[in-house]
Amino acid sequence: MNRALILIGIALANAARGIRRASTTSLLAVLTIAVVLVLVGSAWLLVGNMASLLDEFGAELGMTAYLDPALSEASQRELVARVSQEDDVATATLVTKEEALLRFEKIAGSGDLLSGLEENPLPPALEIRLVPAARTEAGVERVEAVLADLPGVTELAHGQEWIEGYARAIALVRGIALGLGTVLGLAALLIVANTIRLAIYARRDELDILALVGASRTFVRVPFLLEGTIQGLLGGLLALFLVFATFSLLQSQLEYGLELVLGRAGLAFFTKGQSIALVAAGAGLGLLGSITALVGWKGTS
Amino acid sequence: MRRRMTSAPGESPVRLYHVSKSYMAGQFALQDVSLEIRRGEFVFLTGASGAGKTTLLELIFAAEQPSEGQIVVLGRNVARLGARAIPALRRRVGVVFQDFKLLEDRTVEENVRLALDVIGTPRREARNRVFSMLKSVGLQHRRFHHPRSLSGGEQQRVALARALVNEPEILLADEPTGNLDPELTLEIMDLIAAAATRGTTVVVATHDHSLIERYGKRWLRLEGGRIAEDLPATAGVERGAAR
Repeated sequence: MNRALILIGIALANAARGIRRASTTSLLAVLTIAVVLVLVGSAWLLVGNMASLLDEFGAELGMTAYLDPALSEASQRELVARVSQEDDVATATLVTKEEALLRFEKIAGSGDLLSGLEENPLPPALEIRLVPAARTEAGVERVEAVLADLPGVTELAHGQEWIEGYARAIALVRGIALGLGTVLGLAALLIVANTIRLAIYARRDELDILALVGASRTFVRVPFLLEGTIQGLLGGLLALFLVFATFSLLQSQLEYGLELVLGRAGLAFFTKGQSIALVAAGAGLGLLGSITALVGWKGTS
Repeated sequence: MRRRMTSAPGESPVRLYHVSKSYMAGQFALQDVSLEIRRGEFVFLTGASGAGKTTLLELIFAAEQPSEGQIVVLGRNVARLGARAIPALRRRVGVVFQDFKLLEDRTVEENVRLALDVIGTPRREARNRVFSMLKSVGLQHRRFHHPRSLSGGEQQRVALARALVNEPEILLADEPTGNLDPELTLEIMDLIAAAATRGTTVVVATHDHSLIERYGKRWLRLEGGRIAEDLPATAGVERGAAR
């Protein structure tokens, strides 16, 4: 058998032995990583679902360009095609005078309000939805500048405050998630590093003996790195299970509440890729914790 | 038997040239020590506590670096040995201590196998070699026991098996019988002497002068970090008997 494979097998056996031997501290490390990842995972799930809801609302935010009623139908269609080409524009829909009147009557509840007028006073309009990246003050200004130069556009209307509020809400939610994730991640890193340091201290006799019989630095260190990674992996799996169980328990109640308040109910759990990323984050945290513990440890002579 | 011959044939495996070791300024654990130990030679090292016996052994297996002078072990200059080269040297030097240094949570077999694990010996080969080694020290029937269930003599035989299983070119023993009664002392010393007859260079630090009389090997007496006497094998017997 290849010597490298034999050494990897020995390192894995030594890592497993280390975890068994210090089962209490190992369990503590697994639970710490799990708790941190449950918090980070929950925040991630919350932010993900909030962002989806905000995106749904954001998709409805847009601009309306009122057109000159004298504009021919062909010119109106040309205008739609021209505006649709803009990168910041997701869709541009023409609302004719007749459609505008129908909408008004539907909102007002009857046609009585405008029945005294000889002709339809409502102008045709372009309803413009912006791509998510353009739902900012700058994005609105860019589209505004394009529309202002187009012949036939008489007036522009948009919910600027709504758009700015949306952008702020998204930035705030993402900022909180990032801050929370960083702080919790660092805390977990320190705890794992200290757990591994304790393990090294508890096993210094073994490390002395390994040094005596000619163990290389790699032979001594790799089991500790594996130990941290295994602990992190177990912590990540436990966290994923806990987040999934909690989500499954609360999903129907949360969706009912959201339906009542916002009229929307779609909550989604992590995708397969995101689930793997959460578990991998645990393994990475464990590995990084071990590396932190071993940095500065000179080993035995 | 496999034996690596990396130092030139006929070249002494241990050579010290004006070696001094100081842990604190002005205080020497070893001072201006020059000596040569030939291949297969058996040397007793004696001296009062603090005479420098352990320091000398530590310098030979590169646990310490000399403050002055040069030490050449198996063709490698210990004073210039990088941290990564030390493990390779130690795999060729077996070491035994008074306190055995066995891992309590591992079986006898696992303790002995450590020396083979660090060089990636395949499991089956390692198991066979460990069994043969344990058989040679009379402990094959105890291979699945833990050190705590063994007597002091048995534990030292396990430590000796671990030191010898990798067929080292040098065996260093620091007071290997210090914790043992006279009968067990002779048992362990016979095993060490047997290693020397197979070509291993042996250095034993001891307080027990009766061993020098009995085995009649070269005798180095340290005093205040210097070599006070260096007596060849036969003279060692006479000198030991006189004390």
